[in-house]
Amino acid sequence: MEPREETMSVGGIDVHVWKGGRGDPLLVLHGAGGNRGFTRWLRQVAERYTVWAPTHPGFGRSGDADWMETVDDLARFYLWFIEAAGLGRPHLLGQSIGGWTAAEMAAMSPRAIDRLVLVSPAGLKPETGEILDVFYYPAPQLRAMTVHDPKTIPEWEELYGRPPTPAEVEIATRNQEMTARLAWKPYMHNPRLAHFLPRVTNPALIVWGREDRIVPVECGEQYRRLLPNATLSVLEGCGHLPPIEQPDAFARLVIDFLGGARP
Amino acid sequence: MKLYYFSEMPHHEFPDEEGLKYPSLRLEFPNRFFNPAIAASNYQRYLDEYEFADQAGFDGLMINEHHSTPSCVNVGVNMTAAVLGRITRRAKILLLGNILPIEDNPVRMAEQIAMADLISGGRVLSGFVRGVGVETWWANTNPVHNRERFEECHDLVLKCWTDPGPFRWEGKHYHFRHVNPWCLPLQKPHPPIWVPGTASPETAIWAGQRGYTYVPFLVPFDIARELFDYYRQGAAEAGRTVTPDNLGFLICAVTADTRAKALEAGRHFVWRMGPTLRAPLEFMSPVGMRSRAGNQFALRARPRSLAAMSYEELIAEHFIIASTPDEVADRFAYIQKELGIGHLLLEAQESRMDHPTTMRSIELMGAEGHPHDGRARLIGAAD
Repeated sequence: MEPREETMSVGGIDVHVWKGGRGDPLLVLHGAGGNRGFTRWLRQVAERYTVWAPTHPGFGRSGDADWMETVDDLARFYLWFIEAAGLGRPHLLGQSIGGWTAAEMAAMSPRAIDRLVLVSPAGLKPETGEILDVFYYPAPQLRAMTVHDPKTIPEWEELYGRPPTPAEVEIATRNQEMTARLAWKPYMHNPRLAHFLPRVTNPALIVWGREDRIVPVECGEQYRRLLPNATLSVLEGCGHLPPIEQPDAFARLVIDFLGGARP
Repeated sequence: MKLYYFSEMPHHEFPDEEGLKYPSLRLEFPNRFFNPAIAASNYQRYLDEYEFADQAGFDGLMINEHHSTPSCVNVGVNMTAAVLGRITRRAKILLLGNILPIEDNPVRMAEQIAMADLISGGRVLSGFVRGVGVETWWANTNPVHNRERFEECHDLVLKCWTDPGPFRWEGKHYHFRHVNPWCLPLQKPHPPIWVPGTASPETAIWAGQRGYTYVPFLVPFDIARELFDYYRQGAAEAGRTVTPDNLGFLICAVTADTRAKALEAGRHFVWRMGPTLRAPLEFMSPVGMRSRAGNQFALRARPRSLAAMSYEELIAEHFIIASTPDEVADRFAYIQKELGIGHLLLEAQESRMDHPTTMRSIELMGAEGHPHDGRARLIGAAD
């Protein structure tokens, strides 16, 4: 199935969704930067899985959700989304705050999902370092800190090579505002999440960039320790956006993990 | 037209080149440059100046509050109001003001303002502000809730002052099961409420709907007029008549015995126009704090930042007035005529303006019966 966009109504919110591919369902939750759609890594994964990549409420072209206060709210919403979309028991992949949301969903309802992929997820308070305050820095400075080396990113020009249109600026502002709404305080983490993660026995893959300057890689170690069935894969020469920075290696990791033998 | 004396209580006793090493004097300039001995002496000095402004005949004493910045070390507006309530006798005490969105306990705020009103014998004018972004960072309050919290905090403070307790408050951002403040304002039904504005049409409309005194800060005249039009729109919606008493304006002003001395003293205001406002946009306006309309208006209201203007341009556009008492009085009259305001707020001390210069300026500007008394002349012109 060619990637296409549709709008679904879930819980009174019109949700914008990118959908495409073939195979078992895979729900993909984007990070604070918004829904980039079927970029290179996702096109590769969509050859094996039917990908549902919704835009979070309050982000991009999805409807408002001013009543939401925390990532827990977003997690409950997506458990509802899985039912509304008839996904059965999909694999779940989330990146950054989408990864945090995925971890909360798994903690709330482990049996609602199959395998879990967490990509540089926020959600846990680092034991020694800090999660970078992404609201504190001007956009160009933040972008420089988000990735390790733009020169190595195959889609850099396509994604960031031209100034944004006014409509894109408006979407970026919405994305930031909704991120602030969900994750301002406690900043980018849920102090209670660590207590619930041991309940999640689903096979889990955690992917991190060694040079992540947004959420330190030590959080990957924490997730791995807390999730009983998890492996951590750290990509060298990679920052906070493994799917964009190393799309081919990342897609391979995901495909191998989702298609691997049942434990 | 009533005149108000105002100092931000700056702590500018550090080498300027040190400040330049950081992205802003706000939030990032390390507090190892805060000198407690100097600050202790400065507080005495600033309070002496307020006391003298009261004696010299100013109609009001304005105070404000900021955090994490050497530009203003008045970190507790209600605390200062209580002190002024005790050491002054006549002038109104204008708190402009309490920063509502970052307040976690509006009941305590209502009690503290009430206490200042009681100590001062009912002289408090209670300003409510949304604050600049820096205070949102300081308090770590979610900026997307700024306006909601401003309005809900306001509603709860008003209820504390006007509804008999005990009562319960279960709002969106504030939750109190047993509200029964045993400290209520002397003024009834409550102290007059003031609201400042720099760029938000919503705030002007909101103030107009409620008949609060509305005061644009350091904006060009045409923008002030536009904000006053929004205020009138709000007032009309509520069936209220707008008088000069509803409208004020804030500028920087100093006078001296000679024009040359006044111009020299006025240069101290340039610090608050540039260096103290230098900051990434994110510090002053974190994401979601302002509405889209507010952001668009702000861009239009400040086609040029104050920092980009020369001292001479700041004087030409009436952001700063620095001249002989006669000329200052003329300029005040001109502003009154241009804007139709009933209150002129004068930021009259700033940066490293020294104590003798400040005291002489207060004396020349405010003293009743002085031959060059700006206030007396202006009252004559207004009445």
